[in-house]
Amino acid sequence: MKKFRDVAVVGVGLHPWGVFADKSMPEMAVEAITEALADANMEWREIESMVSGTYLWVSQREGMFGILSGTAISAAMGGIGIPITSCANACATGVALLREAYLAVASGLYDVAIAVAADKSAGGFFRPQSEDSQFDLDYIRYVMTGETNPAYWAMECQRRMHDIGTTEDDLAMVKVVTSKPSPLNPKTRYKKSFSKEDVLKSPMVCDPLHLLEICATSDGAGAVILCSMDKAKKYTKKPVLVESAVIGSPTFGDATIPLTYLSAYPRPAVGILTESRNAMAAAYKMSGRKPEDVNLIELPDNSSWHYFAYLDCILQANDGEAERLLRSGRVDPISGDLPVCASGGLGSSGEAVVAQGLFQVYEVVKQLRGEAGERQVKNNPKVAVAQTYGYAGNNAACLVSKAW
Amino acid sequence: MATQTKKQVPIIPGLFTWPSEKPQLIASRCKKCKTVTFPKAAFCANPDCEKKRENIEVVDLSNTGTIWTFTTQIYAPPAPFRKEPFSPYGIAMVDLPEGLRVLGILTTNENLKLGMKVEMTTGKLYEDEENEYITWMWRPQG
Repeated sequence: MKKFRDVAVVGVGLHPWGVFADKSMPEMAVEAITEALADANMEWREIESMVSGTYLWVSQREGMFGILSGTAISAAMGGIGIPITSCANACATGVALLREAYLAVASGLYDVAIAVAADKSAGGFFRPQSEDSQFDLDYIRYVMTGETNPAYWAMECQRRMHDIGTTEDDLAMVKVVTSKPSPLNPKTRYKKSFSKEDVLKSPMVCDPLHLLEICATSDGAGAVILCSMDKAKKYTKKPVLVESAVIGSPTFGDATIPLTYLSAYPRPAVGILTESRNAMAAAYKMSGRKPEDVNLIELPDNSSWHYFAYLDCILQANDGEAERLLRSGRVDPISGDLPVCASGGLGSSGEAVVAQGLFQVYEVVKQLRGEAGERQVKNNPKVAVAQTYGYAGNNAACLVSKAW
Repeated sequence: MATQTKKQVPIIPGLFTWPSEKPQLIASRCKKCKTVTFPKAAFCANPDCEKKRENIEVVDLSNTGTIWTFTTQIYAPPAPFRKEPFSPYGIAMVDLPEGLRVLGILTTNENLKLGMKVEMTTGKLYEDEENEYITWMWRPQG
Protein backbone atom coordinates (compact mmCIF):
# COMPACT_ATOMS: atom_id res chain seq x y z
CA MET A 1 0.00 0.00 0.00
CA LYS A 2 1.38 3.41 -1.00
CA LYS A 3 2.41 5.60 1.93
CA PHE A 4 0.78 9.03 1.96
CA ARG A 5 1.69 11.96 4.17
CA ASP A 6 0.61 11.90 7.81
CA VAL A 7 -2.81 13.31 8.72
CA ALA A 8 -4.05 14.43 12.14
CA VAL A 9 -7.41 15.04 13.74
CA VAL A 10 -7.21 18.66 14.97
CA GLY A 11 -10.83 19.36 15.89
CA VAL A 12 -13.95 17.45 16.91
CA GLY A 13 -17.49 18.62 17.60
CA LEU A 14 -20.71 16.87 18.50
CA HIS A 15 -24.31 17.94 18.76
CA PRO A 16 -25.79 15.94 21.67
CA TRP A 17 -27.72 12.77 20.80
CA GLY A 18 -31.46 12.77 21.51
CA VAL A 19 -34.70 13.92 19.91
CA PHE A 20 -34.68 17.45 18.48
CA ALA A 21 -37.94 17.87 16.61
CA ASP A 22 -37.55 21.64 16.27
CA LYS A 23 -34.13 21.59 14.61
CA SER A 24 -33.31 20.81 10.98
CA MET A 25 -30.39 18.51 10.18
CA PRO A 26 -28.29 21.37 8.69
CA GLU A 27 -28.88 23.38 11.90
CA MET A 28 -27.60 20.48 13.99
CA ALA A 29 -24.61 20.11 11.66
CA VAL A 30 -23.79 23.83 12.06
CA GLU A 31 -23.66 23.37 15.84
CA ALA A 32 -21.32 20.38 15.48
CA ILE A 33 -19.08 22.22 12.99
CA THR A 34 -18.95 25.30 15.22
CA GLU A 35 -17.78 23.18 18.14
CA ALA A 36 -15.16 21.42 15.98
CA LEU A 37 -13.86 24.75 14.62
CA ALA A 38 -13.56 26.15 18.16
CA ASP A 39 -11.79 22.95 19.23
CA ALA A 40 -9.25 23.48 16.42
CA ASN A 41 -8.94 27.27 16.92
CA MET A 42 -9.90 27.53 13.27
CA GLU A 43 -12.10 29.75 11.08
CA TRP A 44 -14.71 28.23 8.75
CA ARG A 45 -12.91 29.79 5.77
CA GLU A 46 -9.81 27.72 6.53
CA ILE A 47 -11.67 24.51 5.56
CA GLU A 48 -10.56 23.47 2.06
CA SER A 49 -12.60 20.33 1.39
CA MET A 50 -15.76 18.82 2.86
CA VAL A 51 -17.58 15.51 2.86
CA SER A 52 -21.04 15.06 4.33
CA GLY A 53 -23.25 12.11 5.24
CA THR A 54 -26.35 11.61 3.12
CA TYR A 55 -29.52 11.05 5.12
CA LEU A 56 -31.10 7.65 4.41
CA TRP A 57 -34.70 8.14 5.55
CA VAL A 58 -35.44 10.84 2.99
CA SER A 59 -39.00 9.73 2.31
CA GLN A 60 -39.78 10.65 5.93
CA ARG A 61 -37.74 13.83 6.52
CA GLU A 62 -36.14 16.73 4.68
CA GLY A 63 -36.33 15.12 1.22
CA MET A 64 -33.76 16.42 -1.25
CA PHE A 65 -31.98 18.43 1.46
CA GLY A 66 -31.30 15.15 3.24
CA ILE A 67 -29.84 13.60 0.08
CA LEU A 68 -27.77 16.63 -0.92
CA SER A 69 -26.77 17.26 2.67
CA GLY A 70 -23.33 18.65 1.87
CA THR A 71 -24.44 21.76 0.06
CA ALA A 72 -27.42 22.16 2.42
CA ILE A 73 -25.01 22.29 5.38
CA SER A 74 -22.56 24.61 3.60
CA ALA A 75 -25.46 26.94 2.76
CA ALA A 76 -26.36 27.02 6.47
CA MET A 77 -22.71 27.75 7.35
CA GLY A 78 -22.34 30.23 4.47
CA GLY A 79 -20.91 28.97 1.18
CA ILE A 80 -17.15 29.33 0.71
CA GLY A 81 -16.84 27.65 -2.68
CA ILE A 82 -14.99 24.51 -1.55
CA PRO A 83 -15.43 21.02 -3.05
CA ILE A 84 -18.19 19.09 -1.28
CA THR A 85 -19.18 15.43 -1.61
CA SER A 86 -22.29 13.86 -0.09
CA CYS A 87 -21.84 10.18 0.76
CA ALA A 88 -24.17 7.36 1.82
CA ASN A 89 -22.71 4.17 3.34
CA ALA A 90 -25.61 3.40 5.67
CA CYS A 91 -24.71 3.24 9.38
CA ALA A 92 -21.03 3.03 8.39
CA THR A 93 -21.21 6.49 6.80
CA GLY A 94 -19.53 8.40 9.64
CA VAL A 95 -16.20 6.58 9.53
CA ALA A 96 -16.47 6.36 5.73
CA LEU A 97 -16.57 10.18 5.74
CA LEU A 98 -13.43 10.21 7.87
CA ARG A 99 -11.74 8.10 5.20
CA GLU A 100 -12.77 10.48 2.43
CA ALA A 101 -11.53 13.50 4.38
CA TYR A 102 -8.34 11.59 5.21
CA LEU A 103 -7.70 10.83 1.53
CA ALA A 104 -8.24 14.48 0.60
CA VAL A 105 -5.46 15.54 2.99
CA ALA A 106 -3.18 12.48 2.84
CA SER A 107 -2.99 12.76 -0.94
CA GLY A 108 -1.60 16.28 -0.65
CA LEU A 109 -4.51 17.84 -2.54
CA TYR A 110 -5.68 19.80 0.54
CA ASP A 111 -4.24 20.72 3.93
CA VAL A 112 -7.53 20.93 5.83
CA ALA A 113 -10.71 18.86 5.34
CA ILE A 114 -13.88 18.34 7.35
CA ALA A 115 -16.12 15.29 7.73
CA VAL A 116 -19.63 16.20 8.87
CA ALA A 117 -22.92 14.34 9.28
CA ALA A 118 -26.32 15.07 10.77
CA ASP A 119 -29.14 12.61 11.18
CA LYS A 120 -32.67 12.54 12.56
CA SER A 121 -33.35 8.82 12.80
CA ALA A 122 -35.63 9.01 15.84
CA GLY A 123 -38.84 7.04 15.34
CA GLY A 124 -38.69 3.32 16.05
CA PHE A 125 -38.26 0.41 13.61
CA PHE A 126 -36.64 1.39 10.32
CA ARG A 127 -38.65 0.79 7.18
CA PRO A 128 -38.09 0.83 3.42
CA GLN A 129 -37.92 4.10 1.53
CA SER A 130 -39.83 3.17 -1.64
CA GLU A 131 -42.78 1.04 -2.68
CA ASP A 132 -40.97 -0.37 -5.69
CA SER A 133 -41.95 -4.04 -5.64
CA GLN A 134 -39.89 -4.79 -8.75
CA PHE A 135 -36.38 -3.64 -7.84
CA ASP A 136 -36.29 -2.42 -4.21
CA LEU A 137 -35.14 -5.56 -2.40
CA ASP A 138 -35.48 -3.71 0.90
CA TYR A 139 -39.20 -3.18 0.20
CA ILE A 140 -39.69 -6.76 -1.03
CA ARG A 141 -37.91 -8.19 2.04
CA TYR A 142 -39.85 -6.00 4.43
CA VAL A 143 -43.39 -6.59 3.19
CA MET A 144 -42.93 -10.33 2.46
CA THR A 145 -40.91 -11.42 5.52
CA GLY A 146 -41.64 -8.71 8.14
CA GLU A 147 -37.96 -8.69 9.09
CA THR A 148 -37.14 -5.65 11.24
CA ASN A 149 -33.58 -4.67 12.20
CA PRO A 150 -33.93 -6.17 15.70
CA ALA A 151 -35.34 -9.38 14.18
CA TYR A 152 -32.18 -9.73 12.10
CA TRP A 153 -29.95 -9.01 15.10
CA ALA A 154 -31.92 -11.51 17.20
CA MET A 155 -31.48 -14.24 14.60
CA GLU A 156 -27.71 -13.71 14.54
CA CYS A 157 -27.75 -13.64 18.35
CA GLN A 158 -29.72 -16.91 18.55
CA ARG A 159 -27.15 -18.55 16.29
CA ARG A 160 -24.22 -17.19 18.32
CA MET A 161 -25.76 -18.53 21.53
CA HIS A 162 -26.10 -21.92 19.84
CA ASP A 163 -22.55 -21.99 18.43
CA ILE A 164 -20.61 -20.34 21.26
CA GLY A 165 -22.72 -20.63 24.37
CA THR A 166 -23.35 -16.92 24.90
CA THR A 167 -25.83 -16.73 27.81
CA GLU A 168 -28.79 -14.48 28.56
CA ASP A 169 -26.72 -13.10 31.44
CA ASP A 170 -23.89 -12.22 29.03
CA LEU A 171 -26.33 -10.33 26.81
CA ALA A 172 -27.74 -8.41 29.78
CA MET A 173 -24.27 -7.62 31.13
CA VAL A 174 -23.39 -5.80 27.91
CA LYS A 175 -25.99 -3.17 28.79
CA VAL A 176 -24.96 -3.10 32.44
CA VAL A 177 -21.33 -2.47 31.53
CA THR A 178 -21.77 -0.07 28.61
CA SER A 179 -24.33 2.06 30.45
CA LYS A 180 -21.88 2.81 33.29
CA PRO A 181 -20.40 5.95 31.67
CA SER A 182 -23.74 7.09 30.23
CA PRO A 183 -24.65 9.55 33.04
CA LEU A 184 -21.11 10.99 32.90
CA ASN A 185 -21.16 11.91 29.19
CA PRO A 186 -22.79 15.28 28.35
CA LYS A 187 -23.51 14.08 24.80
CA THR A 188 -25.53 10.93 25.61
CA ARG A 189 -29.31 10.70 25.31
CA TYR A 190 -29.96 8.42 28.30
CA LYS A 191 -28.33 9.54 31.56
CA LYS A 192 -28.87 6.25 33.29
CA SER A 193 -26.96 3.11 34.26
CA PHE A 194 -28.86 -0.17 34.40
CA SER A 195 -28.74 -3.30 36.54
CA LYS A 196 -28.99 -6.83 35.17
CA GLU A 197 -32.50 -7.07 36.62
CA ASP A 198 -33.52 -3.85 34.78
CA VAL A 199 -32.34 -5.37 31.51
CA LEU A 200 -33.90 -8.80 31.95
CA LYS A 201 -37.21 -7.28 33.09
CA SER A 202 -37.43 -4.95 30.08
CA PRO A 203 -39.88 -6.13 27.39
CA MET A 204 -38.75 -8.82 24.96
CA VAL A 205 -38.57 -7.27 21.46
CA CYS A 206 -37.23 -10.16 19.38
CA ASP A 207 -36.25 -13.27 21.31
CA PRO A 208 -33.59 -13.35 22.84
CA LEU A 209 -33.12 -9.54 22.72
CA HIS A 210 -34.87 -7.34 25.30
CA LEU A 211 -35.65 -3.67 24.81
CA LEU A 212 -32.60 -2.65 26.85
CA GLU A 213 -30.38 -4.92 24.72
CA ILE A 214 -31.06 -3.06 21.47
CA CYS A 215 -30.26 0.56 20.67
CA ALA A 216 -32.84 3.24 20.06
CA THR A 217 -32.83 5.50 17.02
CA SER A 218 -31.85 9.11 17.67
CA ASP A 219 -31.05 12.54 16.29
CA GLY A 220 -27.46 13.74 16.35
CA ALA A 221 -24.66 15.44 14.40
CA GLY A 222 -20.89 15.31 14.41
CA ALA A 223 -17.93 17.03 12.75
CA VAL A 224 -14.24 16.07 12.58
CA ILE A 225 -11.53 18.34 11.15
CA LEU A 226 -8.39 16.80 9.66
CA CYS A 227 -5.15 18.58 8.84
CA SER A 228 -1.77 17.53 7.47
CA MET A 229 0.49 16.62 10.40
CA ASP A 230 3.11 19.20 9.39
CA LYS A 231 0.57 22.00 9.91
CA ALA A 232 -1.37 20.44 12.79
CA LYS A 233 0.62 22.24 15.52
CA LYS A 234 -0.93 25.50 14.33
CA TYR A 235 -4.32 24.20 15.49
CA THR A 236 -3.73 21.89 18.43
CA LYS A 237 -1.17 20.82 21.02
CA LYS A 238 -2.58 17.30 20.88
CA PRO A 239 -2.83 16.08 17.28
CA VAL A 240 -4.32 12.60 16.92
CA LEU A 241 -2.68 10.65 14.09
CA VAL A 242 -5.01 8.85 11.67
CA GLU A 243 -3.03 5.64 11.18
CA SER A 244 -5.76 4.12 9.06
CA ALA A 245 -9.26 4.98 7.86
CA VAL A 246 -10.79 2.23 5.78
CA ILE A 247 -14.00 0.83 4.31
CA GLY A 248 -14.87 -2.86 4.07
CA SER A 249 -17.35 -4.55 1.76
CA PRO A 250 -18.67 -8.12 1.70
CA THR A 251 -16.91 -11.11 0.17
CA PHE A 252 -18.96 -13.40 -2.11
CA GLY A 253 -20.16 -16.39 -0.14
CA ASP A 254 -20.72 -14.56 3.16
CA ALA A 255 -23.07 -16.66 5.29
CA THR A 256 -25.03 -13.64 6.57
CA ILE A 257 -28.23 -12.42 4.96
CA PRO A 258 -27.50 -8.70 5.40
CA LEU A 259 -30.39 -6.36 6.14
CA THR A 260 -32.16 -5.39 2.88
CA TYR A 261 -31.45 -8.83 1.32
CA LEU A 262 -33.63 -11.96 1.19
CA SER A 263 -30.97 -14.64 0.82
CA ALA A 264 -27.32 -15.56 1.14
CA TYR A 265 -25.24 -18.12 -0.72
CA PRO A 266 -22.76 -19.29 1.93
CA ARG A 267 -19.47 -20.67 0.63
CA PRO A 268 -17.11 -22.83 2.70
CA ALA A 269 -14.71 -20.98 5.03
CA VAL A 270 -16.02 -17.51 4.17
CA GLY A 271 -17.90 -16.90 7.44
CA ILE A 272 -20.13 -14.02 8.49
CA LEU A 273 -19.72 -10.22 8.61
CA THR A 274 -16.99 -10.30 5.97
CA GLU A 275 -17.42 -6.57 5.29
CA SER A 276 -16.46 -5.91 8.92
CA ARG A 277 -13.59 -8.41 9.06
CA ASN A 278 -12.31 -7.09 5.72
CA ALA A 279 -12.36 -3.54 7.12
CA MET A 280 -10.41 -4.54 10.24
CA ALA A 281 -7.85 -6.48 8.21
CA ALA A 282 -7.33 -3.36 6.08
CA ALA A 283 -7.11 -1.12 9.16
CA TYR A 284 -4.33 -3.26 10.65
CA LYS A 285 -2.50 -3.63 7.35
CA MET A 286 -2.52 0.11 6.65
CA SER A 287 -1.35 1.04 10.16
CA GLY A 288 1.08 -1.85 10.63
CA ARG A 289 -0.59 -2.42 14.01
CA LYS A 290 -1.84 -5.62 15.60
CA PRO A 291 -4.93 -6.16 17.76
CA GLU A 292 -2.75 -6.31 20.90
CA ASP A 293 -1.59 -2.70 20.24
CA VAL A 294 -5.15 -1.40 20.70
CA ASN A 295 -6.11 -0.07 24.13
CA LEU A 296 -9.38 1.78 23.49
CA ILE A 297 -12.36 0.64 21.39
CA GLU A 298 -15.62 2.22 20.23
CA LEU A 299 -17.67 -0.47 18.53
CA PRO A 300 -21.18 -0.61 17.05
CA ASP A 301 -23.24 -1.97 19.96
CA ASN A 302 -26.53 -1.73 18.07
CA SER A 303 -27.49 -4.76 20.17
CA SER A 304 -25.84 -7.00 22.74
CA TRP A 305 -25.13 -9.44 19.90
CA HIS A 306 -23.20 -6.74 18.01
CA TYR A 307 -21.08 -6.01 21.07
CA PHE A 308 -19.73 -9.57 21.13
CA ALA A 309 -19.56 -10.01 17.36
CA TYR A 310 -17.64 -6.74 16.93
CA LEU A 311 -15.31 -7.20 19.87
CA ASP A 312 -14.29 -10.50 18.25
CA CYS A 313 -14.04 -8.74 14.88
CA ILE A 314 -11.84 -5.86 16.12
CA LEU A 315 -9.56 -8.14 18.12
CA GLN A 316 -9.52 -10.66 15.23
CA ALA A 317 -10.29 -13.17 17.95
CA ASN A 318 -11.84 -16.57 17.78
CA ASP A 319 -15.56 -16.49 18.42
CA GLY A 320 -16.14 -16.54 22.15
CA GLU A 321 -13.18 -14.38 23.20
CA ALA A 322 -15.54 -11.39 23.53
CA GLU A 323 -17.75 -13.09 26.13
CA ARG A 324 -14.67 -14.10 28.14
CA LEU A 325 -13.37 -10.51 28.03
CA LEU A 326 -16.66 -9.09 29.26
CA ARG A 327 -16.89 -11.59 32.10
CA SER A 328 -13.28 -10.81 33.11
CA GLY A 329 -13.93 -7.06 33.52
CA ARG A 330 -11.04 -6.17 31.21
CA VAL A 331 -13.31 -4.28 28.82
CA ASP A 332 -15.08 -2.25 31.51
CA PRO A 333 -15.40 1.27 30.01
CA ILE A 334 -14.21 2.96 33.19
CA SER A 335 -11.91 0.57 35.06
CA GLY A 336 -10.81 -1.88 32.34
CA ASP A 337 -7.36 -2.13 30.78
CA LEU A 338 -9.06 -2.34 27.36
CA PRO A 339 -12.03 0.03 27.72
CA VAL A 340 -14.84 -0.59 25.22
CA CYS A 341 -17.56 1.99 24.53
CA ALA A 342 -16.24 4.61 26.96
CA SER A 343 -18.84 6.94 25.45
CA GLY A 344 -21.63 4.68 26.67
CA GLY A 345 -21.92 3.31 23.14
CA LEU A 346 -24.98 3.27 20.93
CA GLY A 347 -26.94 1.77 23.80
CA SER A 348 -26.60 4.99 25.79
CA SER A 349 -27.48 7.35 22.97
CA GLY A 350 -29.36 5.52 20.26
CA GLU A 351 -28.16 5.50 16.69
CA ALA A 352 -28.20 8.63 14.55
CA VAL A 353 -27.35 6.56 11.54
CA VAL A 354 -25.01 8.49 9.26
CA ALA A 355 -23.53 10.56 12.12
CA GLN A 356 -22.80 7.57 14.37
CA GLY A 357 -19.23 6.99 13.23
CA LEU A 358 -18.34 10.60 14.01
CA PHE A 359 -19.78 10.15 17.53
CA GLN A 360 -17.24 7.33 17.93
CA VAL A 361 -14.34 9.34 16.48
CA TYR A 362 -15.20 12.27 18.78
CA GLU A 363 -15.06 9.91 21.76
CA VAL A 364 -11.71 8.27 20.99
CA VAL A 365 -10.12 11.67 20.25
CA LYS A 366 -11.38 13.12 23.56
CA GLN A 367 -10.20 10.04 25.45
CA LEU A 368 -6.74 9.98 23.82
CA ARG A 369 -6.33 13.68 24.67
CA GLY A 370 -7.39 13.07 28.27
CA GLU A 371 -10.31 15.49 27.83
CA ALA A 372 -13.21 13.15 28.61
CA GLY A 373 -13.92 14.59 32.05
CA GLU A 374 -15.68 12.34 34.53
CA ARG A 375 -15.80 9.43 32.08
CA GLN A 376 -12.07 9.57 31.32
CA VAL A 377 -10.74 6.02 31.03
CA LYS A 378 -8.09 4.96 33.52
CA ASN A 379 -5.65 3.06 31.29
CA ASN A 380 -3.97 6.06 29.59
CA PRO A 381 -4.72 4.79 26.05
CA LYS A 382 -2.35 5.44 23.15
CA VAL A 383 -4.05 3.59 20.27
CA ALA A 384 -7.79 3.48 19.58
CA VAL A 385 -10.09 1.75 17.10
CA ALA A 386 -13.56 2.92 16.07
CA GLN A 387 -15.73 0.73 13.87
CA THR A 388 -19.24 1.18 12.51
CA TYR A 389 -21.43 -1.35 10.79
CA GLY A 390 -24.31 -0.72 8.44
CA TYR A 391 -27.20 -1.96 6.36
CA ALA A 392 -26.54 -4.01 3.28
CA GLY A 393 -22.92 -4.97 3.98
CA ASN A 394 -21.43 -1.57 4.79
CA ASN A 395 -18.56 -1.17 7.23
CA ALA A 396 -15.85 1.36 8.03
CA ALA A 397 -13.10 1.44 10.64
CA CYS A 398 -10.28 3.68 11.75
CA LEU A 399 -7.23 3.31 13.94
CA VAL A 400 -5.92 6.51 15.54
CA SER A 401 -3.15 7.25 18.04
CA LYS A 402 -1.61 9.92 20.25
CA ALA A 403 0.94 11.96 18.29
CA TRP A 404 2.42 14.28 20.91
CA MET B 1 -69.51 -17.56 3.59
CA ALA B 2 -67.91 -14.65 1.77
CA THR B 3 -64.44 -15.36 3.15
CA GLN B 4 -64.39 -18.77 1.42
CA THR B 5 -64.73 -17.20 -2.00
CA LYS B 6 -61.86 -14.77 -1.62
CA LYS B 7 -59.00 -15.21 -4.01
CA GLN B 8 -55.51 -15.74 -2.58
CA VAL B 9 -53.09 -13.27 -4.16
CA PRO B 10 -49.35 -12.95 -3.51
CA ILE B 11 -48.56 -9.54 -1.96
CA ILE B 12 -45.83 -9.26 -4.59
CA PRO B 13 -46.14 -11.59 -7.60
CA GLY B 14 -43.28 -13.53 -9.17
CA LEU B 15 -41.41 -14.53 -6.01
CA PHE B 16 -42.96 -18.00 -5.68
CA THR B 17 -44.92 -20.31 -7.97
CA TRP B 18 -48.62 -19.47 -7.71
CA PRO B 19 -51.29 -20.73 -7.93
CA SER B 20 -49.76 -24.05 -6.93
CA GLU B 21 -50.46 -27.13 -4.80
CA LYS B 22 -46.80 -27.13 -3.85
CA PRO B 23 -45.54 -23.53 -3.95
CA GLN B 24 -41.79 -23.00 -4.47
CA LEU B 25 -39.55 -19.94 -4.40
CA ILE B 26 -38.47 -18.77 -7.85
CA ALA B 27 -34.70 -18.20 -8.05
CA SER B 28 -32.01 -17.87 -10.68
CA ARG B 29 -29.07 -20.21 -11.20
CA CYS B 30 -25.88 -19.76 -13.16
CA LYS B 31 -25.46 -22.53 -15.73
CA LYS B 32 -21.65 -22.23 -15.44
CA CYS B 33 -20.93 -22.20 -11.70
CA LYS B 34 -24.35 -23.16 -10.26
CA THR B 35 -24.55 -20.06 -8.00
CA VAL B 36 -28.17 -19.60 -6.89
CA THR B 37 -29.77 -16.21 -6.15
CA PHE B 38 -33.14 -15.30 -4.69
CA PRO B 39 -35.04 -13.32 -5.81
CA LYS B 40 -33.82 -14.06 -9.31
CA ALA B 41 -31.07 -11.83 -10.63
CA ALA B 42 -29.99 -10.88 -14.13
CA PHE B 43 -26.34 -11.85 -13.62
CA CYS B 44 -24.33 -14.44 -11.71
CA ALA B 45 -23.23 -13.10 -8.30
CA ASN B 46 -19.93 -15.02 -8.34
CA PRO B 47 -17.13 -12.42 -8.86
CA ASP B 48 -15.14 -14.93 -10.95
CA CYS B 49 -18.03 -15.75 -13.31
CA GLU B 50 -18.96 -14.04 -16.57
CA LYS B 51 -21.70 -11.40 -16.48
CA LYS B 52 -23.80 -12.80 -19.32
CA ARG B 53 -27.59 -12.81 -19.16
CA GLU B 54 -27.74 -16.00 -21.22
CA ASN B 55 -25.84 -17.88 -18.47
CA ILE B 56 -28.77 -17.45 -16.10
CA GLU B 57 -31.69 -19.89 -15.85
CA VAL B 58 -34.80 -19.61 -13.71
CA VAL B 59 -35.25 -22.46 -11.20
CA ASP B 60 -37.87 -23.36 -8.62
CA LEU B 61 -36.22 -24.03 -5.26
CA SER B 62 -36.75 -27.04 -3.02
CA ASN B 63 -39.75 -26.58 -0.75
CA THR B 64 -38.07 -28.16 2.27
CA GLY B 65 -35.13 -26.92 4.31
CA THR B 66 -33.53 -26.58 7.73
CA ILE B 67 -33.78 -23.69 10.20
CA TRP B 68 -30.33 -22.06 10.55
CA THR B 69 -31.69 -19.51 13.02
CA PHE B 70 -34.96 -17.85 14.01
CA THR B 71 -36.61 -15.25 16.24
CA THR B 72 -40.06 -13.94 17.09
CA GLN B 73 -41.12 -10.43 16.07
CA ILE B 74 -43.21 -9.41 19.07
CA TYR B 75 -44.17 -5.83 18.14
CA ALA B 76 -45.98 -4.78 14.97
CA PRO B 77 -43.55 -3.27 12.47
CA PRO B 78 -44.68 0.01 10.88
CA ALA B 79 -46.19 0.18 7.37
CA PRO B 80 -45.67 -0.87 4.65
CA PHE B 81 -45.56 -4.27 6.42
CA ARG B 82 -49.10 -5.45 7.17
CA LYS B 83 -50.23 -8.38 9.29
CA GLU B 84 -53.87 -7.95 10.22
CA PRO B 85 -54.97 -8.64 12.87
CA PHE B 86 -51.46 -8.40 14.28
CA SER B 87 -50.03 -11.19 16.38
CA PRO B 88 -46.35 -12.00 17.05
CA TYR B 89 -44.76 -14.11 14.33
CA GLY B 90 -41.68 -16.25 13.92
CA ILE B 91 -39.05 -15.38 11.31
CA ALA B 92 -36.30 -17.75 10.19
CA MET B 93 -33.27 -18.09 7.98
CA VAL B 94 -33.71 -21.45 6.28
CA ASP B 95 -31.01 -23.48 4.52
CA LEU B 96 -32.15 -25.13 1.30
CA PRO B 97 -30.51 -28.11 -0.44
CA GLU B 98 -29.43 -25.79 -3.29
CA GLY B 99 -26.98 -24.13 -0.86
CA LEU B 100 -29.10 -21.00 -0.46
CA ARG B 101 -30.05 -19.46 2.90
CA VAL B 102 -33.46 -17.76 2.67
CA LEU B 103 -35.56 -15.53 4.93
CA GLY B 104 -39.20 -16.10 5.65
CA ILE B 105 -42.01 -15.94 8.16
CA LEU B 106 -42.75 -19.13 10.11
CA THR B 107 -46.25 -20.54 10.54
CA THR B 108 -45.65 -20.68 14.30
CA ASN B 109 -43.43 -19.11 16.95
CA GLU B 110 -43.62 -22.03 19.37
CA ASN B 111 -41.41 -25.07 19.94
CA LEU B 112 -38.83 -23.92 17.40
CA LYS B 113 -35.28 -25.24 17.31
CA LEU B 114 -32.19 -24.62 15.24
CA GLY B 115 -31.73 -27.45 12.78
CA MET B 116 -35.47 -28.16 12.61
CA LYS B 117 -36.83 -29.37 9.24
CA VAL B 118 -39.35 -27.03 7.63
CA GLU B 119 -41.57 -27.16 4.59
CA MET B 120 -42.63 -24.20 2.46
CA THR B 121 -46.25 -23.19 2.41
CA THR B 122 -48.12 -19.93 1.99
CA GLY B 123 -50.05 -17.88 4.50
CA LYS B 124 -52.29 -14.83 4.64
CA LEU B 125 -50.99 -11.57 6.11
CA TYR B 126 -54.06 -9.38 5.43
CA GLU B 127 -57.17 -9.18 3.27
CA ASP B 128 -59.59 -6.76 1.68
CA GLU B 129 -63.12 -7.25 0.35
CA GLU B 130 -61.94 -9.23 -2.67
CA ASN B 131 -58.65 -10.93 -1.88
CA GLU B 132 -56.49 -12.52 0.75
CA TYR B 133 -52.89 -11.34 0.43
CA ILE B 134 -50.32 -14.05 0.97
CA THR B 135 -46.58 -14.59 1.31
CA TRP B 136 -44.40 -17.70 1.56
CA MET B 137 -44.04 -19.23 5.01
CA TRP B 138 -42.01 -22.03 6.59
CA ARG B 139 -43.91 -24.73 8.48
CA PRO B 140 -42.10 -27.09 10.89
CA GLN B 141 -42.42 -30.70 9.74
CA GLY B 142 -43.71 -33.57 11.82
